[in-house]
Amino acid sequence: MSDRALGRVFGLHVAVIAVLFAAQFVLPPYDHTNVARILVLSVYALGYNVLLGYTGLMSLGHAMFFAAGMYGAGLPVYYLGFGAPGALAMGILCGIVVAGLFGLMALRTSGVAFLIVSLMFAQAFYLASLYFNEITLGDQGLILSGKLAALEFGGTQVGFHEPALKYNGALLLFAVCLLGTLVLRLSPVGRVLIAIRENEERTRLLGYDSFRYKLLSLVVSGALAAAAGATYALLFSYVGSTFASILFSIYPLLWSLLGGIGTILGPLLGTAFMFYLVDLASGWTSAYLFVVGVALLVLVLWFPRGILGTVRARWLPWLP
Amino acid sequence: MSALLETRALSKRFGGLNAVHEVDLQVAPGEIRALIGPNGAGKTTLVGMICGRLAPTSGRIFHRGEEITSMPPWERLKRGIVYTFQVTSIFKGLSCYENVALPAQRKLMTGIAARVALAESAVATRVQAALDSVGLAAEAGKQADQLAYGHQRLLELAMALAADPQLLILDEPTQGLAEAEIAQLCDLVRTIARKATVLLIEHNMDVVLSLASRVTVMDAGSIVAEGTPAEIAGNPVVQKAYLGR
Repeated sequence: MSDRALGRVFGLHVAVIAVLFAAQFVLPPYDHTNVARILVLSVYALGYNVLLGYTGLMSLGHAMFFAAGMYGAGLPVYYLGFGAPGALAMGILCGIVVAGLFGLMALRTSGVAFLIVSLMFAQAFYLASLYFNEITLGDQGLILSGKLAALEFGGTQVGFHEPALKYNGALLLFAVCLLGTLVLRLSPVGRVLIAIRENEERTRLLGYDSFRYKLLSLVVSGALAAAAGATYALLFSYVGSTFASILFSIYPLLWSLLGGIGTILGPLLGTAFMFYLVDLASGWTSAYLFVVGVALLVLVLWFPRGILGTVRARWLPWLP
Repeated sequence: MSALLETRALSKRFGGLNAVHEVDLQVAPGEIRALIGPNGAGKTTLVGMICGRLAPTSGRIFHRGEEITSMPPWERLKRGIVYTFQVTSIFKGLSCYENVALPAQRKLMTGIAARVALAESAVATRVQAALDSVGLAAEAGKQADQLAYGHQRLLELAMALAADPQLLILDEPTQGLAEAEIAQLCDLVRTIARKATVLLIEHNMDVVLSLASRVTVMDAGSIVAEGTPAEIAGNPVVQKAYLGR
């Protein structure tokens, strides 16, 4: 990619981050919190998309990585009095370890078998989080409010209940992960991952050990999901088994599909779209999932590449 | 003579079929070796084992005197053993540039820093050189499946060239090409052969006779004859089994 094209791509992504930063000053309080939540969940979808969109591996077990981050961060805060930075690091570390161990076993399979294996592992993880309910409190979960020390910025104490901390914490995580994903996508390693997605055997014969690259992709994906889970626990003060359930493995798949798999900004768009669709629909009817289902059908039938995938195919072929 | 490539009693069975049976093949450095034989003779299976696509049932493979029988394909590529597919196997959804960039960046990816951020200009130079040599420089930005079939074959070859082959295995490279393109391809293979050894599977006897320094004939999984093009053309066994004269 030429320097000019590279400048355009990075310019666009930095602009998106800048707009999100500016938005906090104009958004009404209700949307302010929503956007913070969307940003954290988008990181989860970004991680999912590294594996599905850029490596071609579909998982139905990502809730395991999200929850590993959530418990990895939340339990040390609750029981050991960890501060936020240490807890975040622990959460990400847990995600990396879980994804690495899982990958060493599960990447012996591919395609549908990988999908099923990931589902099985995630179910086992979910059931374990219920089984150890003396520690995790299962579905009921742990409330972190009051346990987590406030952060200090130049002598000012900022507690985790402050909306500004939630928003900017979420945005910081999102910005780092978005740009990190972009760099990965444009790197030589990103080129190998895409080649594996397109034709794994050919890639092996061109000199790349595809297993190692798939494992790397899975670990990056798991680390991003865990970073999202850990941040979610810290910013929204809750850790519970619900986040390890199958539904939370399906969400990032839907968000990625909606936004456009294999696009960097697609996960953000898909997450925001779905979040507000559920939000609006549940205002009209208790059968809001029906509305969500119709929206998904429309997308799958007429825009199978998702929002940004369609935009890229029709108008902006340079989008990464 | 020390062989660049040597197989000893190399065999591959698929169920009850002896696709390749105890083949002893020696290829000397710098030669263009043609591998001919009727369909189903085991030529593609044999080179598949040499490049690491297929695991042999028994037998051994040596490259530069070192055994590579159980070496994975990506390690063999690092040694310079490069294979081009009989059925075009390009990345259809990617641009020609990206197709060639994948093998072109391989040697540059040393150390963690280069894996994350490689000087793209270094890759671009190599890609351009490979596309130039097959005459596809103008198509760099085009998506690979938009190319005409003949050009897809050439793209496949450009991918192989970008990998810096020491031993280039071409599996029916002229299949589906027009006369003019075949002539162009022959010139290209001669150019490549100045630096590399070429193992060529080919059905077009004119191409074989004009390019090859030696010819190996296979039938039913075994080598039935070997010699210079002139010897092979005059060999009665070969004429019966293959040339049909």
